[in-house]
Amino acid sequence: MSKKVLVVDDDPDVRLFSVTVLEENGYSPIEAANGEEGLKMIKAEKPDLIILDVLMPRQSGIRLYREMKTDKALKDIPIIILSGIAKKTFLRSQKAMTEFGGKPVPEPEIYLEKPVEPEELAATIKKVMGG
Amino acid sequence: MMNIEKLLFVTKFEELGFDALKSLLALRKAGLEHVVFVNVIEKERFAMSRVGYRKDEEIRLRETANIRFIDWAESLFEMGMEAGVYIVVGSLVPEILKAAEKEATDLIVIGRSHKGVLDQLYSGSDVTELLRRSATPVLVYKHMSETTLALEKPFERPLLATDWSPACHKAVDYLKTLEGIIEEIHLIHVITEKELADSPSHTSHTIQKARKQTRKKLEEVCDIFEERGITARAHIYIGNAEDEIEKAAREHQASMIVLGSSAKASWAERWIGSTPREIAEKSMFPCLLIPPEKSAS
Repeated sequence: MSKKVLVVDDDPDVRLFSVTVLEENGYSPIEAANGEEGLKMIKAEKPDLIILDVLMPRQSGIRLYREMKTDKALKDIPIIILSGIAKKTFLRSQKAMTEFGGKPVPEPEIYLEKPVEPEELAATIKKVMGG
Repeated sequence: MMNIEKLLFVTKFEELGFDALKSLLALRKAGLEHVVFVNVIEKERFAMSRVGYRKDEEIRLRETANIRFIDWAESLFEMGMEAGVYIVVGSLVPEILKAAEKEATDLIVIGRSHKGVLDQLYSGSDVTELLRRSATPVLVYKHMSETTLALEKPFERPLLATDWSPACHKAVDYLKTLEGIIEEIHLIHVITEKELADSPSHTSHTIQKARKQTRKKLEEVCDIFEERGITARAHIYIGNAEDEIEKAAREHQASMIVLGSSAKASWAERWIGSTPREIAEKSMFPCLLIPPEKSAS
């Protein structure tokens, strides 16, 4: 059975892009349009990989990432961050949230800054999934 | 308890920039942790000014807004805050209301245009429509060039004008949670010339009696703030409400004017009262308008 990958992004064009790359490479993509919806789907669908945007309505990827990495049942699901927000900003924000009383969280496995080429995304997914 | 945890920041960029947002970040002390940026690309006006509607122009506007918002969001993220973005094509007020509802925001911040007469007309009606339809408090922020007042700390010295309506009571609940941010609040009630003329016997005694009663009611509201460590002062003015509120704001060096946004009469509850509308559109001060409960349209 093909592996399930959740794409969390508010931009339908980016979701379409990621879903197409995933389908062409034999994965089963599922989609969510914001962090809140994403967390519900993660709990319900238990995906093998998450491709996560940062700047989204309702709940950002920063918050979703944090919730996942501090949840025993979810913390081992690999995450590829795919965002227009710079990696150093993401890392600083996590540090700031930790300073505001949150738990420390590890750095994301892979951080890609938008835009990416389909080949780059496909290769990254394969690398993370051990394919 | 009403806390301002999530704020909707509506901008067309030229009238409200990141400096305006930064001035609102003092609200973090009161629990603000999430800012949602909204930019509405107004299709009607856009189409009016060109021959037909151009998709490539929409993409350009979207991406321009996106780049600005990414930059602003990065600053917030680095402070450990949450940020979100809506860049939508549509009509301004309905899109703002949709975003406010989806995000369940506690405050909407919108700028008031400072450009030409035509723009002011548009902007005025947009702001009025938003105030009329919003179930969420609205802060009408002023462009920096309109005033040299201390916009750095808009919540530091608010002036709350009360007419004792339910929306004004809600405004008290809203503001009393801002201890540590509000340094001093001035509460005023304007007794109109009409109220005085309508009193049964228009004598010095009845006028003074009205003043005394109003003063007592204002002092009771002051006590609510004082209990929370916010210095509160009561003032009574007589005359035209709009003029007197503006005068009071100047005299007490207010950083913003706060008003309940409904008229008192129940038939008019869905309509913003004329005083709040006039002040929101014309005052040189930022105006925070608090709607009564269940006033969503």
